[in-house]
Amino acid sequence: MKNAIKRLTRALLTPLRKRYQKRNGIVSNQYRHELPNDAWLGEVSQMLREGKPYAIYVKGYSMRPFIEHTRDRVFLERRDSYCVGDAVLAQIAPGHYVLHRIIEKHADHLTLQGDGNLDQVEYCREQDVSGVVTQYIRPRRIIPADDPKLVRRIRLWRRLRPIRRYLLFIYKALV
Amino acid sequence: MKIKKGFELREVCGEHIIVAYGRENIDFNKVISLNESATYLWKNIVDKEFSAEMMADLLQQEYDVDADTATRDAKALFDEWMKVGLVEG
Repeated sequence: MKNAIKRLTRALLTPLRKRYQKRNGIVSNQYRHELPNDAWLGEVSQMLREGKPYAIYVKGYSMRPFIEHTRDRVFLERRDSYCVGDAVLAQIAPGHYVLHRIIEKHADHLTLQGDGNLDQVEYCREQDVSGVVTQYIRPRRIIPADDPKLVRRIRLWRRLRPIRRYLLFIYKALV
Repeated sequence: MKIKKGFELREVCGEHIIVAYGRENIDFNKVISLNESATYLWKNIVDKEFSAEMMADLLQQEYDVDADTATRDAKALFDEWMKVGLVEG
């Protein structure tokens, strides 16, 4: 039944989906060389701590709809402190890294959640954060993280958390 | 010719890779993996002015290879680095 609903939604949204894919340059590229995620992010984390800002491709769906798996890159820079709303690269366990958004901050204790996650959260200290996303790099444009329109959308997305499941369902049908 | 600013050799999971950091390289979306001989050349020419001929000489110093092969391979690698955008000058 669930699959039937998914198929029907996808079929109904096909014209919108094709327009979205054309506008956002969604492509698949079979010629990708991948390194183990945690090893690579560990190296990126080290570079950020050395003061070397770096852009990475994002892998995974946990930051949908703002960052899309293998389509988008993010430019990361180190900061002295981080705020609620920042998308950060953080080590949440030894050798385990995530690129998620800060949803709560108490002193130097941070609560992180992926924009595309429903309930799962992670906890870390501010010292475990290597860098913050300062630019969202999409196929056809670069959006600064402090772009007012983007910031408003991110705030609205957080307020719509109670219906995030349904919004993501529609988003997945589009993509 | 010189390696562009912001390009660095790093080792990840036993692989030697070239990464490009910094705002000036934000459009560079590749990660380049080097084999042993390319890594040797990189380590010896980084932060220096270099040419394909210099790279060929370095190969002959380190490896048991004839001059023609070294020249051909060094030129091919040099051209590849130019094409990818690692080199300036």
